[in-house]
Amino acid sequence: MNLVEKILARASGRESVSAGDVVVAEVDRLVMHDLSAYLTGKVYDERVGVDLPYPDRVVTVFDHHFSPPTEQQADVLNRNREWAKRRGTQLFDCGSGNIHNVLVQHGLALPGQIVVGSDSHTPVHGAVGALAVALGNDSHAGTVMPFGKAWFRVPELVQIELSGQLRPGTTPRDVALWLVKELGEGSVIYKALEFTGPFIKGLGFWDRWLFPVLCVDLGAKCGYIEPDEVTRAFVESLPNGSVDGIVNGDGDPVEDVRRFDVSDLPPQVAAPPTVGNVHPVDDVVGTPVQWAELGGHGGGRLEDFVLAARVLRGRRIHPDVKLNLVPGNREVFRRALELGLVADLHEAGGTWFPPSTGSNQTANMGAMSAGEAMISTHSRNFPGRNGSTEASMYLASALTVAASAVAGRITDPRRHVSEGKPHE
Amino acid sequence: MSEFVTRFEGRCWKFGANIPTDALVKSAYVFDPMEEIVKHVLEDHNPRFPLEVQPGDIVVAGHHFGQSSGRAIAAKALKATGIGCVVSNAFSRTFSRNVFEIGLPSLEVPDATELVEDGHHLVVDIAEGLFRNETTGAERRVPPASPFLLRMLEAGGLIALTQSDPNWAETAR
Repeated sequence: MNLVEKILARASGRESVSAGDVVVAEVDRLVMHDLSAYLTGKVYDERVGVDLPYPDRVVTVFDHHFSPPTEQQADVLNRNREWAKRRGTQLFDCGSGNIHNVLVQHGLALPGQIVVGSDSHTPVHGAVGALAVALGNDSHAGTVMPFGKAWFRVPELVQIELSGQLRPGTTPRDVALWLVKELGEGSVIYKALEFTGPFIKGLGFWDRWLFPVLCVDLGAKCGYIEPDEVTRAFVESLPNGSVDGIVNGDGDPVEDVRRFDVSDLPPQVAAPPTVGNVHPVDDVVGTPVQWAELGGHGGGRLEDFVLAARVLRGRRIHPDVKLNLVPGNREVFRRALELGLVADLHEAGGTWFPPSTGSNQTANMGAMSAGEAMISTHSRNFPGRNGSTEASMYLASALTVAASAVAGRITDPRRHVSEGKPHE
Repeated sequence: MSEFVTRFEGRCWKFGANIPTDALVKSAYVFDPMEEIVKHVLEDHNPRFPLEVQPGDIVVAGHHFGQSSGRAIAAKALKATGIGCVVSNAFSRTFSRNVFEIGLPSLEVPDATELVEDGHHLVVDIAEGLFRNETTGAERRVPPASPFLLRMLEAGGLIALTQSDPNWAETAR
């Protein structure tokens, strides 16, 4: 059995499962954000309503908001707070960071566990070797909350094997964007993706994070990286982090293996209108941008601020550009303070925002008017996602975002990176 | 429980590929009452749809229908238009789950959008896996949904299933 099958077999009390089986399995964690918690809580109160048997399994993170801008949004947050208190569930309030970052950083998504959530980027928890899947609000309200269980169809496995070494100026984020184009949006519907190969194995935890986060746009059910020494060291560094539940696959041969060499890859940019419209940076160099942002489900990592500082330290961003700096969680901000990144990026003209999911869906910030453009480390760029449907969202690495913020137009970051120095 | 209907006949509304849940319910409307939400379903892709859709009509959408956000309210809004069922070349994973959980019959037919145009008269049987265009005569046979999912639909959705069958978890396979 592979990792997904083993986790599902263990959690459903079976000796084995295989692709196509439908099983009902124990769920370790349900994570919701301000919006999905409101929708799920409403369904639960109206249609189920019994006491939660496992309130500690349910976690809500307010991440779209760090401070509600309207009375309606304040009311939604208050109803969420009231619900969490009444049901005895865990709540991370405004300013904690983005939902997935917070869950991992607090040791609430661990290897071998089943993590579910309504947010479509929930599969990112596969980075720790968990089975992490996005379900709908009715699954949560109907089975996870009252029974601590959910139904799953066991997915087929596709191995994504990456090899090669990156050239200076190209980062793991560029590889992730490029993979969406190479594999194709909606190309692996319902599959489980195992990210493997020497390139993946050589990455630190938070760089591995960039791969399962892209599952949703490929159509996949989940993605994961087999837990190894990097996983163990990371999990053991967390408060309450435990590697006791680690599950590894048996290493059986996989029928569908897709192999890629990343050695010659230039920096990549996803242009509007979808995450899969990915181009080498050269194709879009010169496009004016008024906004740049380090944040979102895929960004706001310490690694992003370290990379950005390589470009921005001692420089100023272009006067036409507003650079938003959004830590993925409070620990990221503390580390950025310790490393001097907060001061460096502030001096360069960037604005630090509270830990959150940043301008994602403009719940508190980041709306654009027609004709404006933003380059960011976000996970989505659908038209209208950040204000006007005639505004443009470009997705790139932190290096490319920083280089573009300096120039006021999309810029190849390689001009800022000295030859022979690999990405940090 | 009313008689479980698995066969649908109705007028076709055809939509393209890669339509996200944001197009079914925009973020700005998710807190509104359903009678408001339903006035905007798919309006960006066909402004006539929310105004003219009739009970029993059939939506046929392209590849990766319902991608992006996993909000179940998107499937609920589509159901609230009164359509009989929804067919897609391939549903996004969360959306394919949501339609069964909220009790909207659905069928996957890999080339469905190539077989239909707006206004064609369609027959869909989700238990038999039948998709037929009565206007052109084109027909496809596909694998029907699993018995567990059909039971969920018969009960009226996932929550209704768990409340009507205490053994729901033991009978999933």
